[in-house]
Amino acid sequence: MIEFDHVTRTYGPKTAVADLSLAIPRGELFALLGPNGAGKTTSIKMLVGLLHPSRGTIRICGHDVVADPRAAHLHVGYVPDEPCLYDKLTGREFLWFIADMFGMPRHLARGRIDREIECFELGEFADDLAESYSLGMKQRLVFAASLLHDPGVLVLDEPMVGLDPRSVRIVKDLLAARTSEGMTVFMSTHTLAMAEEMADRVGIMVRGQLRFLGTVTELREQVALEATSLEQLYLELTSPRGRQP
Amino acid sequence: MSGPAASREAVRLLSLEEESRLFLRLRATLVWETIRSMVVGSRLRLSLVVILSGLFWAALYGLFVEAFSFLEALHADVISLLFNAFFSSLMVMLVFSTGILLYGGMYRSPEARLLLTLPVRAETVFAHKFREAMWFASWGFVLLGSPMLVAYGVVREAGWPYYALVLPFMIAFVTIPAAIGGICCLTLVAWLPRLRLHALSIAVAGICLLAIWLGWSLVAQPRADAMSAVWFERTFARLAITEQKLFPSWWLSSGLLEAARTQPDGRTSLAGLSEAVKFLSLLLANSLLLHVLAGWMARVAYRKGYSHLAGEVPARRRRRAGLVDRALIGSDAAVGRPLRLLLVKDLRLFRRDIAQWSQFLIFFGLLGLYFFNLRSFNYHNAYASMIGFLNLAVVGLILSTFTTRFIYPMISLEGRRFWILGLLPVHRDQIVWSKFLFSFLGGIVPCAGLVLLSDSMLGLPGRLIALHEYCCLLLCLGLSGIAVGLGARMPELRESSPSKISSGFGGTLCLVLSSLFIMVVVVVAAIPTHLFLLARTLGPTVIAPDGLLAWAGGPMGASASLVVVTVAGLAATAVPLAMGLKAFRRLEA
Repeated sequence: MIEFDHVTRTYGPKTAVADLSLAIPRGELFALLGPNGAGKTTSIKMLVGLLHPSRGTIRICGHDVVADPRAAHLHVGYVPDEPCLYDKLTGREFLWFIADMFGMPRHLARGRIDREIECFELGEFADDLAESYSLGMKQRLVFAASLLHDPGVLVLDEPMVGLDPRSVRIVKDLLAARTSEGMTVFMSTHTLAMAEEMADRVGIMVRGQLRFLGTVTELREQVALEATSLEQLYLELTSPRGRQP
Repeated sequence: MSGPAASREAVRLLSLEEESRLFLRLRATLVWETIRSMVVGSRLRLSLVVILSGLFWAALYGLFVEAFSFLEALHADVISLLFNAFFSSLMVMLVFSTGILLYGGMYRSPEARLLLTLPVRAETVFAHKFREAMWFASWGFVLLGSPMLVAYGVVREAGWPYYALVLPFMIAFVTIPAAIGGICCLTLVAWLPRLRLHALSIAVAGICLLAIWLGWSLVAQPRADAMSAVWFERTFARLAITEQKLFPSWWLSSGLLEAARTQPDGRTSLAGLSEAVKFLSLLLANSLLLHVLAGWMARVAYRKGYSHLAGEVPARRRRRAGLVDRALIGSDAAVGRPLRLLLVKDLRLFRRDIAQWSQFLIFFGLLGLYFFNLRSFNYHNAYASMIGFLNLAVVGLILSTFTTRFIYPMISLEGRRFWILGLLPVHRDQIVWSKFLFSFLGGIVPCAGLVLLSDSMLGLPGRLIALHEYCCLLLCLGLSGIAVGLGARMPELRESSPSKISSGFGGTLCLVLSSLFIMVVVVVAAIPTHLFLLARTLGPTVIAPDGLLAWAGGPMGASASLVVVTVAGLAATAVPLAMGLKAFRRLEA
């Protein structure tokens, strides 16, 4: 579903992502970890087409995100780190706009909108203007919008920021359910506990390089530490004097 | 069936027409909601905007009717020249303003970031942002141009076809420079991303130099020549540079002049109308061609340019303390130290916010340029005094826009960082006082300088200059008091955008009170002086020696006006400040 093929992205003299090759199959929840400035957000921006790779190609469901962005975007739902909504649209109007953008038939769109409003418990404020929403409400609405068209690939950049514990639980349950139905999730996060709990595989990026790729169990084996938590393994890998797996 | 497999059947790519319709519907909803919110939540502001715009339109209309009547009697060719000069300068401004607005809308806005991750064509997003930028760039043209063109039609006694053609002409015209601005913006960002600032700066500097040269050459002629035949010839020759047949401004001017042409019996000239339609078609054809080009450019360059910009590494900026900072912080004296530190912080924020100091510089710079050229006009005594007071009012009004736009929101913005200040050993009063001092000191230096420049160029006597400077001092005190006091009294702690804070109810109230205060100070101070000068110039036949007007123009009247002005100034400073201090002490962040 997602393929990074020898992808490099440079910012002037600095290499933000270096020769990244990665394939994430259907139905997998992949968590990208790494310290600030490791290249996680750059990878995500390239994946959703906001940044073009300096070298290499990225494909979503077989569509090149640079050469054929519309076809690729048709299969993607994206939840950015900072939610963007139209202040002068209500939550429901925003969901309708997204549904129309994906060319969904009216009867289907109506059902999906009601489904997402119920799922994310948006009913109370769905008909208020978005300018009155708190950060958490905005984040829930963006989640609902990203799942409206049942995307094949869901891209999440720090998805839990601003969400209360109940909303976090809703999102976790939803991700588990959707991945079991075949949706692929690409998630960047600093919340190690969430990655450990949910991810099928994790990738750890350090200074633009993918330092590790595999399951948490494989990571433990490779680093060969007494450490049992992902946090200890992560800190070991990402420290300036950290060992190579 | 649910999940991704089902989604592939449920979703599809939209056609270009469907995308356009969807964005038009979005725009209509956003505009409707914005208007509704204004009607419901900002009635005062909306009423003020409508009333002031109406007054402004009517005043401009009256002015243009007088001007066109005068020019018609003088020489008909002058109007063609003035139209060309006006429309060509407007064309240049529209290219820049649309380009800059599009840059912000297409590359820096969160909306663009959202839209580019959806399955929508780049050219549709461009068209959506283009319409928005064109409207914001050209509404001033509608407000300024429509009274001018209506006045011209009335003076020329043009038939209805002229009025019917004015709007299509204006729309066809503004889309041309707007499309050129859009194409320039797309090209610069996609292919010359590192040069965009240099290219823009060079172009703006070039245009400014040309405008200054033209303006200077028009006003710097010997006074004795003014309004003579030689003066007119020279002026025409200089403005002829704007009459280029390849410019859309020429097509617009010629089309409008032809549309207003009448036959000797007063009926619309069919030949003129046919020429007008020809020019309108020329404008429309070029407008459509440029739209097609801009759309193609957007398809090729928008995503590429967006990626270039998003990948730019922001330059690391190291800043050092300025001279004033060091002078304020340097002293170890404990007295006023928190106040000084807060002042330095605000000063640094001001220096590092280009939006603030650039507007400050542009408005006061233009005012300075105008005042500097006052010596070109030979005003008589009473007239010079009136111009001096009007200039004082203009300085006050410009300062009031700054205090409303930048000073009024300061307390609200501070409220968002209340946890920082709340933990420091700083009394809340000191925060309010520091804003007041910052506003007053920042205002008094340029304002007093400008008033002095204006009065010197007008050749006013020292006594009058002293009066103007005293009024200026009171204006700076009062305007700062109103802005800081109301800002502390009605803070909007949840809002992070200063422009939104200043455009709310409190900001509008601040602007209205500031304008009223300026009117009171200037009118009350001006009346005795003006009456005194009138009596001296025209003699007792106009002003009876024993009447109220004579009293007002005498020493008693002058003293009374000084007292009123002083009381108004102190009240405008103290009352809002006291209210603000009291409210800010009780504020729960």
